Amino acid sequence: MQTYDAVVVGAGAAGGIVAAVLAEAGWRVLLLERGPALTFEDVGRDHLRNQRISLYGHNAGPDSEGNPRVLVDPDGREILVRPHEGGYHNNAACVGGGTRVYLAQAWRFMEQDFRMASLYGVPEGSSLADWPITYADLEPYYERAEWEIGVCGDAEANPYQAPRRRPYPMPPLPPGRLYTRMLRALDTLGWHGFPVPFAINSVPYQGRPACVRCTHCVGFACPVDAKNGTHNTMIPRALATGLCTLVSRAVAERVDVNGRGDVIGVTYLVEEGSTIRREVARARVVVVSCGAIESARLLLNSACDRHPRGPGNAHDQVGRHLQGHYYPCACGILDEEIYDGLGPNAATATCRFNHGNPGITGGGMLADEVATLPILLWKSLLPPDLPRWGMVSKRWMRENYRRFVRVMGPVQEIPSPEARVTVDPRVRDRYGLPVARLSGTTHPETVRVAHFLLERAQEWLRAAGAVRIWSVPPRLGLSGGQHQAGTCRMGHDPRTSVTDPYGRVHAHDNLYVVDASLHVTNGGFNPVLTVMALAFRCAERIARDHRGGG
Amino acid sequence: MTEVHWQTLRAVMDRVVPPDDFPGAWDAGVGEYLRRQLARDLKHLALLYDLGLEAIDAEARARHGSAFAALTAAEQDAILRDVESGRVVAFWPVEPGRFFRMLVEHVQEGFYADPGNGGNRDGVAWRMIGYGTGPQDEATHADV
Repeated sequence: MQTYDAVVVGAGAAGGIVAAVLAEAGWRVLLLERGPALTFEDVGRDHLRNQRISLYGHNAGPDSEGNPRVLVDPDGREILVRPHEGGYHNNAACVGGGTRVYLAQAWRFMEQDFRMASLYGVPEGSSLADWPITYADLEPYYERAEWEIGVCGDAEANPYQAPRRRPYPMPPLPPGRLYTRMLRALDTLGWHGFPVPFAINSVPYQGRPACVRCTHCVGFACPVDAKNGTHNTMIPRALATGLCTLVSRAVAERVDVNGRGDVIGVTYLVEEGSTIRREVARARVVVVSCGAIESARLLLNSACDRHPRGPGNAHDQVGRHLQGHYYPCACGILDEEIYDGLGPNAATATCRFNHGNPGITGGGMLADEVATLPILLWKSLLPPDLPRWGMVSKRWMRENYRRFVRVMGPVQEIPSPEARVTVDPRVRDRYGLPVARLSGTTHPETVRVAHFLLERAQEWLRAAGAVRIWSVPPRLGLSGGQHQAGTCRMGHDPRTSVTDPYGRVHAHDNLYVVDASLHVTNGGFNPVLTVMALAFRCAERIARDHRGGG
Repeated sequence: MTEVHWQTLRAVMDRVVPPDDFPGAWDAGVGEYLRRQLARDLKHLALLYDLGLEAIDAEARARHGSAFAALTAAEQDAILRDVESGRVVAFWPVEPGRFFRMLVEHVQEGFYADPGNGGNRDGVAWRMIGYGTGPQDEATHADV
């Protein structure tokens, strides 16, 4: 048996930060990650097996075999899904988690995003609620995330952004052709365009080089290590203290409690070759940072005599309010070739429609996409009336790829308590652990907002000179995916939330959840910078509240 | 897969992505892509491929008295259009439209995905559409 000050389960966007903050405070930390540490070569450039388009597998985990989930569709049918298949709602499983292979859009939420219920009222059947903290509470930690992870952007250009004390540590990347064109369209519309902020080095930063403008950010690893995740920032910092032990390919089996029901540590399984070894770690504090689906699953799988529904789940809140982002997407063909082969895979954004939309609950940011993978365009984004084979199809790709652009945006979802993670009573994974079972749908209001945002995306394309525009209308379904959130939301009331405003699980002194599970709502933005800011804030509090045994 | 089935498959894929001043599917390596996939991720579809290609050939023989691969491009296209919409005269042990649409998906995957998968030889499909011609992509594609 090993003894630590803290066990952190999950080395992703949040867990990597918590481990570093605690280790730098002098704590002995065990950081567990179910996936491996991946090199650039491990991740590769396979256009059919990556975190952007996963037709036949993933490049950053989980393995396709032995890690199923059960999806219950809106008709009540149970479907066994593998990690690369639709309906699994996967996020990468590796050191760094999703940050190893993300596009790295680094957004702050807006002030309004923390008080959606007060601003808009609660649609019937929805569990929409205010956060127990405000933007001002989180602002210093957004700043820390921007400076310690490394974000480039223009701090002046977005008139809708919430107040900030410091600019970004790096300037935006130089504009490409698409940016210039799309920005002009936003100016014409009066929609205030600006460059997307990225956790990407626009100039050398923290000892690593600047972006070389390749086009394989989203779904892949960076060839020159200019894209910033926890794998190349906070986790190395944690390890540099000499106090943090990182164990990869280590799957948490359960959160352990003593006879009084107090959390005492974690039992985990380590895969080595063909054998699986069980290990027991004891710690003063346990932090669950597995992502919204797996964090809920771990708590539910930790049910015991003292906590028969799982720790933190006395009020049946763990796993509910699962949300992600609807992504209404308008595709278009511009009247001239715009492709310049310069990444990253987004350039221009507007926050004109995140809030203040008459009759609409919230909204979302809109951004363009740069250098869509050709096979992704062919598989998912062609005009619906285009022949899919023959000379017409070939010519279309040849004539239009360089003129193709799409505009999309993450809709701030209106949560439903019925969109949820439970554990399946029958299906187990390769470690013998009950798998996540996903059921329910988002609230219908989310779909209405998505329709609204889709129309704005189409307007933007028209203003940009698109000669043809098409899109697929959004439909009611379950959301989660790489932006999964909400399953252990923070709050003051244990009947409607799982943790306090610092991620401490209600009725526990030393059990924390720190990741997007805490998000009460998920903003109309890529959520990772908020995940990171919350991790800094929660970890700082953990270090303070549990001082003494370091 | 038998040699005859490969000939049929080659002819079919070259109508799905026909040659012009850029190569068709076969010369772009889509045959190699499918050979790999039918031994890997599409292993479970190998029998379906056998039956479907057999049926396409039977369709050609029923209509023209010769193998599909021996027909003119126009004759082949006409048959594939009918197969796609289910207007078949031969015996089909598999659903014709579904089989053909599946095959089209696989052929296009081979053509437009990365060369590491066996198709899109030397990035020819990407050159055709103008993808990956930025200053850094040539170098970084070559790394993996």
